[in-house]
Parts: sequence; C-alpha cells; structure tokens
Amino acid sequence: MSTAILAEQLHVRYKAKNGKWVEAVQGLTFNVEAGEVVGFLGPNGAGKSSTLKALMGFVEPSGGNCQIFGEPAGSLASRARIGYLPEVALYYPFLTPRETLTLYGELQGLHGKALKTEAETLLEVVGLKDAMNKRNRSLSKGMLQRVGIAQSLLGNPELLILDEVTSGLDPVGRKELRHILKDRQQAGCTLFFSSHELSEVEMLCDRIVLINNGKFVEERQISDLKQELRQFSVRYKGEVSLFDLTDHWQQVGENIYEAVFTSKEQLLVALDRVHDEKAKLLDVVAQEGSLEDYFVEAIARAA
Amino acid sequence: MNKIRIWKAIGRGVLLESVRRKDLWVIAILGMIIILAASMLGFFGVRGLEVFVKDLAVTVLGIFSTIVAILTSSRLLPDEIRNRTLYPLLARPITRMDLLLGKFFGAVAATWIGFLMLAALTAVALLIFHVQFEWVMIQYMVLKMMGLVVLCAVTLTLSAYMTPQAAATMSFVLAFGSVMFEQGLLMAGNSAGKGMRPIFATVSDILPQYHLFDEGSRAANIGWGSAPIWVVLALGTYMIFYSGAMISMAWSKFRKQAI
Repeated sequence: MSTAILAEQLHVRYKAKNGKWVEAVQGLTFNVEAGEVVGFLGPNGAGKSSTLKALMGFVEPSGGNCQIFGEPAGSLASRARIGYLPEVALYYPFLTPRETLTLYGELQGLHGKALKTEAETLLEVVGLKDAMNKRNRSLSKGMLQRVGIAQSLLGNPELLILDEVTSGLDPVGRKELRHILKDRQQAGCTLFFSSHELSEVEMLCDRIVLINNGKFVEERQISDLKQELRQFSVRYKGEVSLFDLTDHWQQVGENIYEAVFTSKEQLLVALDRVHDEKAKLLDVVAQEGSLEDYFVEAIARAA
Repeated sequence: MNKIRIWKAIGRGVLLESVRRKDLWVIAILGMIIILAASMLGFFGVRGLEVFVKDLAVTVLGIFSTIVAILTSSRLLPDEIRNRTLYPLLARPITRMDLLLGKFFGAVAATWIGFLMLAALTAVALLIFHVQFEWVMIQYMVLKMMGLVVLCAVTLTLSAYMTPQAAATMSFVLAFGSVMFEQGLLMAGNSAGKGMRPIFATVSDILPQYHLFDEGSRAANIGWGSAPIWVVLALGTYMIFYSGAMISMAWSKFRKQAI
C-alpha cells in the first residue's frame, strides 16, 4: 500500500495582527495510506485547517516535510491528484453552480463535452440538479456546501481532503454525503477530512488522528476504539459482590445491584458468579461507547 | 496542461464578473449621456463645434476607460483572498503565476471591451453630428488600449502590496497625474545639481509613462495627423516590458503569500 499523505515534523506559523508569530502546528507527524478513510480531529484552533492548508501548499511550512503520494505538498503533481473542500466554502456569487464547476474543471484540465457531462452529473449527485443554473448568490449555505463538494470531486481525484465537510448540511444532506464518500472510497479514493461531527467520523472512518494545540495527541483505529469504548452493564437481585471485577458496581435498589464492565471476559465471569450464587439476573445491556466522551477525555489528557 | 486554456478560464471569470456586476453598462451609459448632452449644442445652432465634440469624446473615453481599468484590476486579488474564493482555485494544478496572468488578461479584456463599447457609441455620436472621421482616431484607440494594459498591470501589482482602496487611489494619482509628475521631475532634474539629476531621471523612468499613450490632442484637432509608426512600436515595446516588470513584482509578493 502506498502512502497518500506523509507529514513529518510539520511546523506552520502565522504572523498575528499584533506582529507576533503564532505556532499553529508544532512538529506534527502522521501518515495516511492510500485507500484509507482518516478523520482529522481536534478542538477549535487545534491546527487542523493550518495542516490541511500546508498539505495543499496554501501556506509554506516553517519546518518539516509534507508529501502527497511521494510528491512535495503543494506541487502541481500533488494537486493534480487531490480534490479539496475548503473550510468556508465561498464561490463566485455571480456564477451559477454549473459555471462554477466548468471553471474549476477547466483548471483541472478537463474540457469540452466530457467536462459538461461530469459537471452536470456531479451536481445531480449532490442534489443540485434543479439549482444548477441559479446564481450562487441565491443559494443557501447548505447548497453552497454541496457546490463545494461537487467541485472537490471533479476529475475523479485519488485523494479527497475535506475541511469541515458536513458544515451547513442538514441530516438528509449528511446522509447523502456519506453515500457519496463511501462510493468514492469503494472506488479506491483516499479520504482525509476534518469534522466536528463525531458521529459522521465514526460512521465513515477507518482511523482517526487527534491533535491539540498544533501537536499530535494520538491516532486510533475506529474499530479498536469502538471495542474499547463498548460497555456491558448487568443488573441483578441478590447478595453477590462483584466489587473485585469492576470499579463501577453499585446498589441501585433494595437488594438490586448494577455493575458495568468494559470487557466481555469480565462480563462472562460476573454472569457465572451471579448464576452460581443463585441471584436473579434482571438485565444485561451492551452499550456502544461515545466517541464524544473519548474525544473530550483525550483532549483533556493532552492539555 | 495548456496554459492558454487556464488563463482563458480565469480571464473569462473576470469578464463575467464585470458584465454581471453591470460595471461596464454603467460606464457606457454615463459616457453616452455626457457625449450626447454636449453634442446637443449643435442643435442650437452653435457652429464650429467639431473640435470641441471630438475633444470631449476622447476625454470621456480616456476618463471612463481609466476608471474601468483601475476599478476592475484593483479588487481582483484582494477580493479573492478576502472572500476565500482563492482556495478552490489554487487547489487545482495551476501555478500562482497562472492565476495572476489569468486575472491580468481578464482585467485587460474587460477594460478593452468597456473602452471599445464606449468608442463605438462615441463613433455613432460623432457620425450623427457629421464630425469628420480621421485615421488618427484608430491610432488613438490602439495607443489608448496599450496604455490601459500598463494601467491594469500597475493597479494589479499595487493591489498585491496594499488594500484595494489604496491601490485604486494610487493608480488614479499615477494615471491622471502622469504628465504632471513627468514635467515636475524634468523641471526638478534641470534645476538640480549634476549629482541629483540621475536620481530624478531614475524616478521618472520607474513611474508609468501613462500619458505617452494619450493621443487625444492629435485625435481631436483637425489636421494634426497621426504619430509615426516607430512611436507606436516603441510604445508597444514599452508596454510589454513595463507590464512584464509589474506582473513580476506582483508575483514576487504573491508567490509565497500565505492564504
């Protein structure tokens, strides 16, 4: 498997209005393999957009190395393989979505009938078939985000870099977007996106990269994380102590106890004990853990 | 990738913006109102107005085309950065120089179209009032269009270094004060000591010689005739090198600019 994105000791800094330099990204190292879907997470001001801008060549890194498919980030060769959705999608208000896609398509190297067909197909895919000839200035924020998504898909890019991809989209739009991105992934496209919608991240991603204050915090496989966050709770009636198996054991009623386990093995031991001690099993619930809780805890740990 | 196709696509965007924002139409209507109002004098029996009408026509053409050139060029880059429309553009496999040249060509095209539109309306007005057509008018137009190229390059470059308002103001001063600056520097150079003369000469060379492209007086006055062809060729060469230098300056600022 080839590496789609490689960032090594990446540093990005900006000159603030007061003239001081602000280190937006500080020694960030991560990689994304081709074909992966990776979520790029972090609180506001963590340096996500700055990192994405460095990957696109919009800002010159003040240190470190950034590569896209082995090419220097920002080079023409690397940009030819990327579809990019900016964080705040603003498109020329005097153009229509169709004209917008035609303009970007021409810059992507497409032209003629092929471009016309692709632009119309993409606008249809993102649900703008009826609005493709209206001026952008008359479109809602969600519709403009759809224009942005459509333009990022022009030319069938090998890598999609999407900044706050679900911004402005309603639940229907998000669901449609999920389908679009899954289709692209199945076609072999690599996806790297930032989002504050953790449920979307959970549904789409293979892996997440977490950053805070411009620094790498951790990266996790979503499947591992889900397993780790999964909890099992047992409720039973009877004098059976499970205190040695979990810290989360408490009395919730008259002779009724509840215990919460993070592993299946502990759960099975607890169930055996409840059965052996002739206690009455009232309920067993498997709960999926919240990515939000993980996110908050991980950021708090890193702070 | 085909560079011309890239510049054409970006330039077409600039042109569409000018047309859809109705800048060109406002200028054309204003210009026509002024020319027609002045030409009305002919109806009231005032004779010998040919020079006056022609002079007025070239003045209106000069002023309004300068306004179009400056207003179009001054906002191109700053607006792209401020409105963040630059991101999806530069996410494509194009260089920043491509973007700059596309914008420049688009500004020149929009300015030229505005100028030609006004020129056509002026020609109709002149015909209505039986003003005699002379070939010097064509030379005036060609030189004016070359001057507008220089002005677009200067304004675009200034807008890379300062706010659009400041760039527009500076460009207006440079365009309308061109003769004044040149004469002032010449006089200052003549009255200065030997050591200071090269400094005044250098400053004069650096400033855009926009007034050299204005053949309005020749066009307005009957029988003045056109300038020799070598003048046109020399000005053409000046336009290419000066505009090239300006665009290079804009690029040196824009090429590494964080957006």
